[in-house]
Amino acid sequence: MGREGRPASLHRYGRVTFFDLIIRNLWKKKARSIGLAAAVAIAVMAVVTLDVTSSGLEQSAAAIVSVGKADFTVIQKGAADTLSSTIDRQELARVGQLPGVASVVGVLVETQNLNANNPVFIEIGIDPGDLASFGVRVIKGQPYGPTAAHQVLLGWRAAANLGLGVGGQLAANGTSNTVVGIYSTGNSFGDAGAMFPLPAIQGYNRVPGIVTLAFVKVTPGTNAATVANRVEYSLPELTTIRTATQFGRADRNLVYLQAAVNGSTVLAILIGAVIVGNTMLLSLFERTREFGLLRAIGWTRRRTVSLLLGESLLLALLGAVLGVVLSFAVAAGLARLPALRGILHPNFTEGAFWRALLTALVMTLIGALYPTTRAALLSPLKALSYE
Amino acid sequence: MSEPSERKLAVDVRGVTRVYPGLVNALAGVDLTVEFGETVAITGPSGCGKSTLLHLLAAIDSPTTGSVTVAGQDLARLRDPSAYRRKEVGLVFQFHNLLPQLSALSNVEVPMFGTHASARQRKARARELLADFDLSGCEHRLPTELSGGERQRVAIARALANAPRILLADEPTGSLDSVSTTRFLELLDRLGGAGMTIVMVTHASDVAAHANRIIEMRDGTIVPSVPVSAAPIAYR
Repeated sequence: MGREGRPASLHRYGRVTFFDLIIRNLWKKKARSIGLAAAVAIAVMAVVTLDVTSSGLEQSAAAIVSVGKADFTVIQKGAADTLSSTIDRQELARVGQLPGVASVVGVLVETQNLNANNPVFIEIGIDPGDLASFGVRVIKGQPYGPTAAHQVLLGWRAAANLGLGVGGQLAANGTSNTVVGIYSTGNSFGDAGAMFPLPAIQGYNRVPGIVTLAFVKVTPGTNAATVANRVEYSLPELTTIRTATQFGRADRNLVYLQAAVNGSTVLAILIGAVIVGNTMLLSLFERTREFGLLRAIGWTRRRTVSLLLGESLLLALLGAVLGVVLSFAVAAGLARLPALRGILHPNFTEGAFWRALLTALVMTLIGALYPTTRAALLSPLKALSYE
Repeated sequence: MSEPSERKLAVDVRGVTRVYPGLVNALAGVDLTVEFGETVAITGPSGCGKSTLLHLLAAIDSPTTGSVTVAGQDLARLRDPSAYRRKEVGLVFQFHNLLPQLSALSNVEVPMFGTHASARQRKARARELLADFDLSGCEHRLPTELSGGERQRVAIARALANAPRILLADEPTGSLDSVSTTRFLELLDRLGGAGMTIVMVTHASDVAAHANRIIEMRDGTIVPSVPVSAAPIAYR
């Protein structure tokens, strides 16, 4: 340590660069610097957490379309969410008859509140004959029969979570179901649920002949997009999904969720900007004489503003990094909440980090607008006589 | 075309008035010339306008009417007042106004930001100036670790960082004890002897005595000048 408890690194060198000057100014007002970085960090954390959780929720919801390893998925047009989509037997048959369609697998997807730890347990109703083409591989035991009652196949993740094996009993849909096999789909969403004979799950939910989704495989050499367009043209009440992005657009709840996230992001940025602006303004008032002095000894407006802005941007960067770290912790904590367990898988992508940085920068620049304008317009004489 | 004699002028103030909002006449028609190499002391009671005049010379304030020309530059027509303040004049204040977070050496380097000097050159120049003012041992001290006299000498070193032609000092000894004042005046003599043009505002007659010429101000105007030999105080 150097004199007066200052770290030697900040005290040892007489020579200063502009960056050193920024560091020393921030170091001089440690509490304020920490406060500003914390404000940015909290706003960034809020934005990133919202982003990764909504993205995770969307990914979880969209994962269902990739369970079947189909060329595209068919759902009801305008459905509020995937699970409220209804496709009847006739529509399913008409899809299967369209040119270019090799196979159609209709599945009914429902959720079940198993217990406090599994409040949203995914149940998929599917004919045993469609399991293979749906990409389901039975890794233990055997498939259920086409009309078997009270039989269930458990995904290997669900089996591990519930502590059940072949022969175990799964209490669901108001009845006890025997686990006849354990399956794997290679998709974490699919593997965390259970599969029932289609008629059984339709019966439990009183929707005979209805499926939620139809998974379509096209004949080899046929363009999937062309066939998908054909489906939409022939059955205008249905829509097709080939990618997770298309899924996000088709599911209205996800559209609303995204809108809410966007709104919250703007709000978080504005709140952060107000805090940044307020802190910078306070700093400007406290350091008015200093800025006046710098102007009086020949610093240009631009250089003076650069100093103030540089200090804020450095803190914004620090806040962005802190915010991302915090968002990791918060998102992980949210994912462990009983109400969200199994549904929320925070999706930390490279894009989330860039958005964090962008959020911090936008917030700082908006917040800095007024203080830096004031700093630029500061009269050296008035600033020097400022008390 | 300027007259040859005019070209030698460091300061040429003509018919300058400065009226502040509320119709306070800080300056009421001031004419002043200072030649290069002169040391001029502006004295007078508080509120007579001497600091205002210095602020106009430093281009940190503008006259209401009249013209101020420093080192051949009409200050009303400056395209970049910052560059003028950086290159042509050095400012020394009553209260040193050093940046508390920076060492003495760094404080001297600060005005050199924005010049073409590299960090290495800035440091070398700052060291040279501090050594010149017997502050070699204080390079890495913060202002709070320096005496009042040392701080003021650092402030002068800072004012001279960009090798200005004119030094403007506003009550430079106002916050110094007698020992520090004596050292400061020795320094002032040295600078004056080296050909530096110095314009200082002071209340203190012993400080003014170190000038080649004393300008007395009263009520925003200059009292007709007194020849040095006839001045009622001791001159060097």
